[in-house]
Amino acid sequence: MNSVVRVEKLSKSFGELQVLRDIDMEVHEREVVVLIGASGSGKTTLLRCINCLELPTSGRIWVNGEPMGDFDSGGAFRPLPEIALNRRRAQIGMVFQRFNLFPHLTARQNVTLAPVMVKRMPQAEADVLARSLLAKVGLSDKAEVYPSKLSGGQQQRVAIARALAMNPQLMLFDEPTSSLDPELVGEVLETMKQLAREGMTMIIVTHEMGFAREVGNRILFLHEGRILEQGKPEEVFNRPREERTRAFLSRVR
Amino acid sequence: MGYTFHFDVVWRNLGFLLSGVELTLIVTAAALSSGALLGLVVALGRMSSRRWIQMPAIGYIELFRNTPALIQLMWVYYCLPILTGLELSAVVSATVALAINGAAYIAEIIRGGIQSVDRGQVEAARTLGLSYAQTMRKVVLPQAFRRMIPPFVNESVSILKFSSLVSVLGVADLTYQAQVLSTTTFRPIEIFSFIALVYLVLCSALALFARRLELRLAVSD
Repeated sequence: MNSVVRVEKLSKSFGELQVLRDIDMEVHEREVVVLIGASGSGKTTLLRCINCLELPTSGRIWVNGEPMGDFDSGGAFRPLPEIALNRRRAQIGMVFQRFNLFPHLTARQNVTLAPVMVKRMPQAEADVLARSLLAKVGLSDKAEVYPSKLSGGQQQRVAIARALAMNPQLMLFDEPTSSLDPELVGEVLETMKQLAREGMTMIIVTHEMGFAREVGNRILFLHEGRILEQGKPEEVFNRPREERTRAFLSRVR
Repeated sequence: MGYTFHFDVVWRNLGFLLSGVELTLIVTAAALSSGALLGLVVALGRMSSRRWIQMPAIGYIELFRNTPALIQLMWVYYCLPILTGLELSAVVSATVALAINGAAYIAEIIRGGIQSVDRGQVEAARTLGLSYAQTMRKVVLPQAFRRMIPPFVNESVSILKFSSLVSVLGVADLTYQAQVLSTTTFRPIEIFSFIALVYLVLCSALALFARRLELRLAVSD
């Protein structure tokens, strides 16, 4: 199986505070990996390092076999030149906790912006693409609506369509349901399940343990910046090896 | 009260007084537009991560915000020719001085607008593969621009009123015409009260126009 993401000895510090310590990780094509752990365990930072929204302090990352940094010099992490980094990022979709839709653009325009600006796709072609993606996330009738007129769940589904418009080989989800009202969580999770069924490679940070168990191929438990335990959902959830994993799971359940 | 108001002096000389409005508007418009351009440059400098670009921008903003506009005006008109040999007409000096002064405020308005845009917007754009320039143009500036309108109107009104200072250089604006008329008719109270009203009308019109613009841009809220 092809490796979509490879992470080697990744460390990240914010000043004195070390958030990630020597993380090694590999994610294969069509795999759904779920990162769980207490807040402050580094799971969001790990996710944000993969597309260099956060610059690692040291270590190496490859996405689709292409380096996400300049690794020739060794030692400290050196970012790619802007043009190369933009090109890599265009292949990695990301969905944020707070949606981050562009409020001055309609749902359709949110979806077409990147294909038109980055891929130089003609607007008409991008519009067709946007309509089919909005239909896919169940929002055909909201194409010309501004984000402020959409519910949280609808906004997050537009955000997923926006990311899919770049035809990414990998999708990163950073607590995609954490700022939603409970009754809106289901529709977003359903959209993500559909993506997983279609074979999208996904890395998901979430607190939805039921969802993690159902959709995840592999669960990674982070504790104090390290991957403390990983395995199939039934192993990690039913028979956790580590005491800290057990303690965490008993608290969130 | 021993004073009797004679507003007929205003009506009899209405044409003469209002002939200053044109110059007031021209000086204001020219100062505002060149001040906005200069302000944009200073704002970008102020937000630069390079200290050698950032420091002069900060120096500029502090210098021109924290010294009296009247003195800046006199400095451009009287002092600049001595130092540089560059002699500007009174109207041009006045416009340049107002633009330089306004740019310091406008720079901070632009910076405030840009920095008020949520960081998540930039992150979302960058993860989609947009470049820094594309992100600015398509995501940040359209949002920042709307938030800049109200403070920018304040600054425009401010410059319009400050333009009355150019009368000290003998530029025949609204205020200058009032001074001329006062010295010949000895009715400064009536005359200056009247031109205050003219300034009020001009500034209100400006604010009204801005409000319209704001509403038109607010479709997505």
